Amino acid sequence: MNIKDCLGSRILFFDGAMGTQLQAAGLAPGQAPESWNLTHPEAVKAIHRAYLDAGADVVLSNTFGANGVKFADPACPVEEVVSAAMALAKQAVTEAGHGWAALDIGPTGKLLKPMGDLDFEAAVEAFARPVRAGAAAGADLILIETMSDLYELKAAVLAAKENCDLPVFASLIFDENGKLLTGGDIPAAVALLEGLGVDVIGLNCGLGPAQMAALLPQLREYTSLPILLMPNAGLPQCTGGCTHFDVSPEDFAAQMVDFARSGVWLLGGCCGTTPEHIAALTAACRNIVPLPLEPKRRTWVSSYARTVVFGADPVLIGERINPTGKSRLKQALREKDLDYLLREAVTQQEKGAAVLDVNVGLPEVDETELLTLALPRLQSVTDLPLQIDTSDLGAMEAALRIYNGRPLINSVNGKPESMAAVFPLMKKYGGTAIALTLDERGIPATADERLAIARRIIDTAAQYGIPKEDLVFDTLAMTVSAEPGAALTTPEALYRIRTELGCGTCLGESNVSFGLPRREKVNAAFLLLTLREGLSAAIVNPCSDAMLDAFYSFRALSALDPNCRDYIAHADGQAAAPQAAPASGMDLGTAVLRGLSDSAGAAARAALEATPPLELISAVLVPALDQVGKDFETGKLYLPQLLMSAEAARAAFQVVNEKLRSGGGSAPASKGKVILATVKGDVHDIGKNIVKVLLENYGYQVLDLGKDVPPETVAETAVRENVRLVGLSALMTTTVGGMEETIRLLRQVKPDCKVMVGGAVLTADYAAAIGADHYGKDAMSSVRYADQIFV
Amino acid sequence: MAGIDWSEARRYLGLKGEVPELEDKLRRAGELLLSAAAPKGVWRRFPLQRREGALCFAGMEVTSARLRAHLAGCGEVYLLAATLGIGTDRLLERLAVTDMSLAVMVQACAAALLESWCDEYQDRIAADVAGEGLFLRPRFSPGYGDFPLDTQPALLGALEAGKRIGLTATGANMLSPTKSVTAVIGLSPDRGSCHAGGCATCDKKDCEFRREG
Repeated sequence: MNIKDCLGSRILFFDGAMGTQLQAAGLAPGQAPESWNLTHPEAVKAIHRAYLDAGADVVLSNTFGANGVKFADPACPVEEVVSAAMALAKQAVTEAGHGWAALDIGPTGKLLKPMGDLDFEAAVEAFARPVRAGAAAGADLILIETMSDLYELKAAVLAAKENCDLPVFASLIFDENGKLLTGGDIPAAVALLEGLGVDVIGLNCGLGPAQMAALLPQLREYTSLPILLMPNAGLPQCTGGCTHFDVSPEDFAAQMVDFARSGVWLLGGCCGTTPEHIAALTAACRNIVPLPLEPKRRTWVSSYARTVVFGADPVLIGERINPTGKSRLKQALREKDLDYLLREAVTQQEKGAAVLDVNVGLPEVDETELLTLALPRLQSVTDLPLQIDTSDLGAMEAALRIYNGRPLINSVNGKPESMAAVFPLMKKYGGTAIALTLDERGIPATADERLAIARRIIDTAAQYGIPKEDLVFDTLAMTVSAEPGAALTTPEALYRIRTELGCGTCLGESNVSFGLPRREKVNAAFLLLTLREGLSAAIVNPCSDAMLDAFYSFRALSALDPNCRDYIAHADGQAAAPQAAPASGMDLGTAVLRGLSDSAGAAARAALEATPPLELISAVLVPALDQVGKDFETGKLYLPQLLMSAEAARAAFQVVNEKLRSGGGSAPASKGKVILATVKGDVHDIGKNIVKVLLENYGYQVLDLGKDVPPETVAETAVRENVRLVGLSALMTTTVGGMEETIRLLRQVKPDCKVMVGGAVLTADYAAAIGADHYGKDAMSSVRYADQIFV
Repeated sequence: MAGIDWSEARRYLGLKGEVPELEDKLRRAGELLLSAAAPKGVWRRFPLQRREGALCFAGMEVTSARLRAHLAGCGEVYLLAATLGIGTDRLLERLAVTDMSLAVMVQACAAALLESWCDEYQDRIAADVAGEGLFLRPRFSPGYGDFPLDTQPALLGALEAGKRIGLTATGANMLSPTKSVTAVIGLSPDRGSCHAGGCATCDKKDCEFRREG
C-alpha cells in the first residue's frame, strides 16, 4: 500500500536514531556509517528490526551521507551502498511483516553557489544518484532530512521528482528561534516546499521535543501539508568529551502526545532516540485520531529568507531592473555589467520595494545565459523575492530552476499556448504567476470580458492542479491619452476579480500616462485609484517620490499602517536625504579628496553649469584622483580613504556621463579593458574587489570574472575580448597553484597579455617565480601598472 | 558575549590608531556587522595519540611537525570551529557592489569579531577543564605552518560543524562561510609549557599585520 494513502488515517511512526545505534554497535569515529551496509549488514538490519518491533511504520535506510558529493569512497560507488542499504531496510520490513522502507537523504555538507562553491546542477546530480539507486532497489518513499539550506533542499526535491515517482517527504533542521543556519525561516521553507509539491513537510534534529513544540504553531499556521516531527532526545549535553541526550523515553512520548493531539500526523525520533523511545512513542500515540488538515490558500512568493503575501495590505514591486526605455541598463546588460543591476536591486530594497522585477531581455543578448547569471548574484545581495519577467520560455524555465525560493512569474495570459507553456513549469518549480487578462483577440475593452478571460485562466490552471491562489491578475493599464475610458475599465476589472473571483491583483502602473507630460503625477493618481479598488501589488519605480508618497499615504489612510509608522519612516527618510546638497562651498576636487560621495555628485552637478563635461574630467576629476593616489602611496591616506575617494569620483563620473549622454554624446572611452579574477579554488574576493573599484574609477573597463574562476575561463575571456592585462588574486598558499596554472595557460593562448597578481601570501619573489609580470603590493599598484601598459 | 575589539579592527585596516575622518564610518560598519553576524561555535574533546610521526585524534591522522611541537605534553585536544555565519558573507557581498570602503571596514570588524568570539569560546573551554587541573594551549589552525589545509573536512566532520553551525569547506578546503575558524587546542596539565601562539607561530615573517612581541 502506498504510504500516501495512509496519511491521515492514523498517526504514522518513523524510526529513531541510526548513527548512535551504530556507534553503540562499534562504528568508530571518523568512519562512514554507510560503509556498514556492506561490512556489517546484519548489524544494520538488526537496528531496523528493533525499530519496527518497537512499532515504527517507517524505517530509514542507512544512507544519510550517501550522496554523490559527501560519500567519496573510491572503492565503492554510491549506488552500491544505497542498493545494499535499501535491501536491508526492505528485508527488515518483510521480516517484521509491516512497515515501509524509506530512502533516507541527508545534506551534501557543502554550501551551494553563490555563497559556497557547489554548483546547483551538481547538487541535483549528487542527489539523483541515490534516488535512482534507491528507487530501483524498491524504496517506498523518499525522506530528505536535516536540511539547513532551502536551496540545497530544492536541488534534492528536484532530483527526487525527476528520477522517480515515489512520495517525497522533506524535513528541515531549525534552531530554537525558528531560523535555518542559511538564513531561512518557517514561512520561507513552507512557501518553497509546497511550491515544489512535496507530500509531507517536517522538522528534525537540532532540537528536543520541548524546543520543537515552540516552533510547531508557526509551522501549522503556514503549511497546508501533513507535518512530520522527529526531535532529538533533548539538546545535546557534553560531559567528559562525550555527547549524549537526556530526555527519557517516557518524557519523549509524553511530549509527542501533545504534538499528535495538536495536528501532527507523523512522528519519529532523531539523534539520541532509541527503540525504547519509539516503543514509548507508539504506545502513547497509537490511538490518537489525526486532526484534519486546514488548507491555507495563501497567495505569496518567497526568497530564501522571506515571504511576501499578496493580500489586503498592498505591496510594491520594483520595476527598475527592466531595460524598456532605460539606455544605461541596456548598456549594462550588453556588457554583462551585473554590478549595475545589483546596485539597482539594493537601492530599490532601501526604498521599500517588497519584490523586484527582473527582466534582462534584449534582442542582442542571450537571455537564458544572462538571467541565470543575474539571479544568483541578485540573490546574494538582496533577500527580496524576485519576479522572473521574460517571454522567452527557455529562459523562464532555466530561471525558475535556479531561483532560490518561490518566485513571482511574469507572466501567463489567456492564450491557450501561453497557459500550455507556463502552467507545467509552475507545477514543477512552484511560483505565483501574474496572469494578464488578454487572449488571442487582444485586450478586451470591457471589464466583463477581462473577467471572462480571468475565469478561463483559473479553470485551465485547475486542470494542471494549480489553485487560483497561485495566480494574481493584471487587468492591464491602458494609455489614457489614447483611450479616454481606459483608466476606468482597469480598476473596475480588478475590483471585480478581487470580489467576484477572490483573487489577488497586480498592475504595472506606468503605462497609463504614456504620452503625457509630468507622467509621475498621473501615475501616482492612478496608483491611488487602483489601490482603492483593492490592488494587491503595484509594479512601480520605488525611486519615485510621487509614487511612494501616494502609496504610504494610502496605507496610512486605509488603516493598514498602525500608528502611521511606515508613513512617518518614509517621510523621515525623505527629510534625511534631500537631493544631496554639497556641503556649503565644497568644490568637486575637495569632495573627491575627502571621499564624500553625496557631495561629489552634487558638486559635479553644480560645476557642470559653468564647465563643459570633458573639461571637468580632465581639469578636476583626474587631478584629484592623482592626488589621492599619491597621498595613499606616501602613507598620508589609508586604504578606506582611497576607496572613499574612488567612490566619490564614481558619483561625479555618473553625473558627468549622464550630462554627456543627454547632450547626444557618449561617455569617454575607457583607457583599456582589464580582466580581474580570484583564481580557481579561492573564494576570498575582497582584494580583487578593491582593485576593481580603483581601476574603474581611474578610467579602466573591468571584466570581473568573480571568484573561484577556472584558468580556462580567464584564458578564453582574454582571447575573446582581446584583453592586454589580467589581474589575478589568491589568498592562500594552496590556491597560488591555480594562479600559476592560469598564467601558464595565458602565455600559451594570449602571449601579448600581461599578468599582475596580488594577495595575502604573495611576495614580489613569489610572483616572479610563478611567472607573473607584476606583483601588486597594494591597491594603487595595479592602477600604476595598468597606466604603464595602456600608455 | 564577545564584541568587536576596535583597536584590532583598526589594525586589520592598517590604521595607526584612530583616524577621526573614518571613525563614524567604522562605527557604522560595526553596527552593520553586528546585525548581520550570527556567531556560533562548536567544540569537542578528543584523546590525542602519537603514532609513527603522526598525531591521531578524532579519527584523523595528521602529519605536521609544527602541530606536533605545539601539542608537546598534551594528552588530549579540543577541536573548535567558529563562524560569523552566512549573513556576514551576504553583507560583504552587498557592500562590495554598493560601498567598497564600507566593505573593507566590515571585513576588518569581522576579523576582529571572529577573533573575540574564538577567545570567548576558548575561555569557556578553559573554565570547563580548569577543575581537572588542565590548561589550554593556544589555538592552532589548518593552514598554519605545515598543518595541512586538507584536514579541514575531517575536522569539520568530527564536530558535525555543517549541521551544528552551518560551517563547510569548499573543494579547495577553504571555509565557507568565509568568516570562520577551525582550530586544534591542546590540553596540558602544565600551565608553564604554553608558548605564545598567534603571530609568533606563523612563518610569514614579512606579514604587514604581524604583531611584534
